[in-house]
Amino acid sequence: MSVVQKAGAASKWYLPGILTGLGITFKHMIKNIVSKKQMVTLNYPEEKYEYSSRFKGNHILTVKKDGNIRCTACMLCATNCPAECIKITADENPDPKVEKFPISYEIDILRCVFCGYCEDACPVDAIRLGPEWQTPGLSGANFTYDINHLAYRPSLKGGIQSHVDDEERHKEGI
Amino acid sequence: MPKCTINGKEVEVKDGQTIMEAFYKTEEPIAHYCYHPGLSVAGVCRLCICDIEGNPRPQIACNTVVTEGMKVSNKSDKIKDGVKWVLDFHLINHPLDCPVCDQAGECGLQEQYMEFGKYDPEMAEHKVKKHKVVDLGPTVVLDSERCVLCSRCVRFTDEVSKTSELGIFNRGDRSEIGTVEGKKLDNKYSLNTVDICPVGALTSKDFRFRQRVWYLKDSETVCNGCSTGCNVKVYFNKEGFFRVKPVYNEKVNGHWMCDEGRDIYKFLNKDARFTTGIVRQKGEQTEMAPGALAKELHKEIKAKKDQVALVLTGQYTVEEYDAMVSSMVKEFGISKIYHWVNNKESFDSFDGLLLRGDKNPNTKGLLQVLEKHQIKGVWGDLEAGLKNKSIKTLIVAGPENKAVFDNLETHVKLFAQAEHLVWLGSAKVDSLLNLNNVKVSIVPLKTFVEKEGTFINAAGLEQKFKRATTVVHEALTLTETAILMSGKNLTVPMAQIEKPAFLENKRRQDQVMLENRKKNEFVFKRGSL
Amino acid sequence: METKLLTEFYHLDEFRFLDGYKKNGGYVNLEKALKMQPQAIIDEVKASGLRGRGGAGFSTGMKWSFLPKNNEPRYLVCNADEGEPGTFKDRLMMERAPHQLIEGMIMSAFAVGSKKSYIYVRGEYYYPVEVLEQAVQEAYKAGYLGKNILGSGFDHDMDVYRGAGAYICGEETGLISSLEGQKGQPKLKPPFPAVKGYLQKPTIVNNVETLAAVKYIIRDGAAAYKKFGTEKSPGTKLFSLSGNVRKPGNYEVNLGYSLNDLINNEGGGMKPGRKLKAVIPGGSSAPVLTAEEASRATMDYECLAQMGTMLGSGAVIVIDDSQCMVDMLGVLMHFYHHESCGQCTPCREGTGWLNKITHSILEGKGRLQDIDLLVKVADNMKGRTICALSDAAALPVLSFVTKFRDEFEFYVREGRSKVRGSFYAQMHH
Repeated sequence: MSVVQKAGAASKWYLPGILTGLGITFKHMIKNIVSKKQMVTLNYPEEKYEYSSRFKGNHILTVKKDGNIRCTACMLCATNCPAECIKITADENPDPKVEKFPISYEIDILRCVFCGYCEDACPVDAIRLGPEWQTPGLSGANFTYDINHLAYRPSLKGGIQSHVDDEERHKEGI
Repeated sequence: MPKCTINGKEVEVKDGQTIMEAFYKTEEPIAHYCYHPGLSVAGVCRLCICDIEGNPRPQIACNTVVTEGMKVSNKSDKIKDGVKWVLDFHLINHPLDCPVCDQAGECGLQEQYMEFGKYDPEMAEHKVKKHKVVDLGPTVVLDSERCVLCSRCVRFTDEVSKTSELGIFNRGDRSEIGTVEGKKLDNKYSLNTVDICPVGALTSKDFRFRQRVWYLKDSETVCNGCSTGCNVKVYFNKEGFFRVKPVYNEKVNGHWMCDEGRDIYKFLNKDARFTTGIVRQKGEQTEMAPGALAKELHKEIKAKKDQVALVLTGQYTVEEYDAMVSSMVKEFGISKIYHWVNNKESFDSFDGLLLRGDKNPNTKGLLQVLEKHQIKGVWGDLEAGLKNKSIKTLIVAGPENKAVFDNLETHVKLFAQAEHLVWLGSAKVDSLLNLNNVKVSIVPLKTFVEKEGTFINAAGLEQKFKRATTVVHEALTLTETAILMSGKNLTVPMAQIEKPAFLENKRRQDQVMLENRKKNEFVFKRGSL
Repeated sequence: METKLLTEFYHLDEFRFLDGYKKNGGYVNLEKALKMQPQAIIDEVKASGLRGRGGAGFSTGMKWSFLPKNNEPRYLVCNADEGEPGTFKDRLMMERAPHQLIEGMIMSAFAVGSKKSYIYVRGEYYYPVEVLEQAVQEAYKAGYLGKNILGSGFDHDMDVYRGAGAYICGEETGLISSLEGQKGQPKLKPPFPAVKGYLQKPTIVNNVETLAAVKYIIRDGAAAYKKFGTEKSPGTKLFSLSGNVRKPGNYEVNLGYSLNDLINNEGGGMKPGRKLKAVIPGGSSAPVLTAEEASRATMDYECLAQMGTMLGSGAVIVIDDSQCMVDMLGVLMHFYHHESCGQCTPCREGTGWLNKITHSILEGKGRLQDIDLLVKVADNMKGRTICALSDAAALPVLSFVTKFRDEFEFYVREGRSKVRGSFYAQMHH
């Protein structure tokens, strides 16, 4: 960090600075009293801020058209994760077109740094970082999100559909 | 002994050897799939094309015999371009399965494409659909779409295992590997097909989806599954051991190993092991540090010298036998030392390739040490001694690989006739924990991957191996146990660990050197993508 | 002008049977041949300059002299697996004159010292197999086959073997694999069949026409045979003329005969109102000739090789201006894709790829770069495989696309044929 020393009378005398500061404060106070719409602060938690849908918040595992989990358990997200917070256990899927799927997919959300590298690494659009950000919990709350929470938590209303679907890929001959 | 020049490097090969072998000798890079040094030449992948001076058409290296003064090169643009295209031909119908495919990370297609590939695919048509997840037999799963039809597996079953289960069915780009209806790929060497498969078409049911290969470390060692002593690589990470693969050794196993040997990783993992010292007396069980337990035994052995006997299995290293036997003989003068043979009937059997009836890696080593100390223990003496109570304290160095010890349970019952059974061993033997009429002391031992030492195989070949990793940190080696039992303290001579005298860490023969990758270099660094 | 050497008596129905054959000079020369030294026969055939009539045009006498000089059992195989699209000369020869082939084979077998020979007939040829089997039985009965033929001390057995209909079994090593009972796939060379062939023993594989011609070389001598044809391509050859001509059929002419004459004299010329557009001179694997090139061509190995194509099996496919070259290539590519044995990667994947590209062009989904891609793929298949099937698939592509590129470009741009003006679906339904 570098500190830039401003030479001149204004920085030697504190009073003008204080007064300028107070001026700004009063300006905002009056503005907030006159028009509440322009107010910057919120009455949290009664009022909540809506982030953009591209905000990198809590993870979502997407689902296919038939509602099954999209993830193929390729472990690329786990490999790419700098915080090492993803744990996947793979197993054989009875459908030969799917072949491999996760029987457990856990994210230790307290370790997660929300960098979004898992999203980047995913070859099949199976994991996304969603706009959900406000997930506090008391001691004893479970911060290791399992597959059910990640894919089917109530706020997702039955799951987010992936862009990539096995059936379609097979029809397309990819 | 004709001499030839490979990319400007002069090399001398044996009569009748091919250009491919000359390439192997000079370690010049050459792309290939179907050629395997342990199998016959098929010449079907057409990747190993090279220019021979004076020959207008490029020839394949695997089927062209070296002649005196031959000048071969695969560096010309024409050849490089040709290889790129042939690789592309391999890939046009290959599915984009890498995320699901178990071979990803050690795949011949991935490696060779990085080194020789075209990088701008022009295939815009639909790929050919074939069968996926075909159950070939008890050990192997086939994915026909991934198959590049190099025919290595077919040649393996024809030439090495001589069971001929596999064949190529249909023709053209509809060709698929398969078995005749009603037949399964079921032989004692079937998993070698998975090793030699350059792509992920054949995968092992045992290893399938258990781990991604880039999470695994490997270490070379000697298989302790039987007295052949195949050179193998064990693959492990912090969660344990996951698979075993063969390492080429001309003198012992060639390129192959048996399916039985691939199961040896199972008894190395923690859940199959004794992890602490256990003393069990009158149905009460207390846990103890293994070192302290071994030290405590010293007093008892010293006091009851004449009533102590030692039973050894052929599963430990020569060094350990020497330490144990010499400490018994020299410190205590005990000569009641017996060799526990697990399967007398089939002990000398041999299937002609690798599998031997003697399922101990070091029977020869044990017999040599016993001979050196002039010990001629007869098993009948032990049985008699236990019966007439002349043997009261019995020390047993039990098997690591208890699965091959069919007579384990009956022998445990036999050993329980003693007053105090001291069990040294790594494998968790549950019946020991149910013995109530005898005092049982269990000292957990290290397995062969956790120590270094020497095995002498059935052919009398001494094979040194190095330590791979440690699974149970508290466990002792037999040498350490012998030192503690003779009342001395352990001064772990870490500096004494020699440089690995075992096979030097050779690169895999079909491995592509990473420094040769030119474009699209993908070097993974954690968090810096 | 047609020259009737092999086909002299083909118009006689009785020539099919032993009696009729003998009446017309059959088996007379066999006695003469069996009294000669085997090496003398080989020398005679070598001197005649007879070249393989199956496609490659390799000198027959030379091929025979590659046999190792030892006492190993050796085999003679007659390649009657006539699979090349457009070729139907061997069928005629087997149906009309089976004894002519058998006699030629006994002579050749005596020359190369083979005690056992096979006639490998294409699976679809039901009738020729019947005729041949009957003829072999007749020959056995008359003592031309079996032990001590005509008192010469030479033993010979002959079997007729039916293939199962794979094109690739017309390739000699593929044929040997099939004969051995294995999957019909060509084998790696070296070793060549003359050294290690059928059952790992020295084997000579010759075409029906080649073996039949041996009889006439023995009858008239090499010098007389050499009078037919050109210096380097002596003899006569059967050409299977097909396509858009008035009189398609088999015609025996001297090698070196003008292609123009063959079409206009023997073939009766083009159909009324049609113009010659192109000719495939040697079976579907041979590169196509444009009308201009065809007017200059003579039917011998050298001239056609000079023009970048080949005489092949002698199947002359005449194409007039009502044919769409894109559609024709589509048909050819479907054939080669279907017939690739799947052993070597460039051919296995390349034939499929070419088939897909041509068909996507035909369906109107083609892109302009697909035309160049066809050339690139074909270029990289050429000469990269064990046998010549990938060349056979690649060469037509290269010649079609380079010589008739305007038709391809039109098809891609307009999505329909330049010649017919119709869409693919209309053309085929």
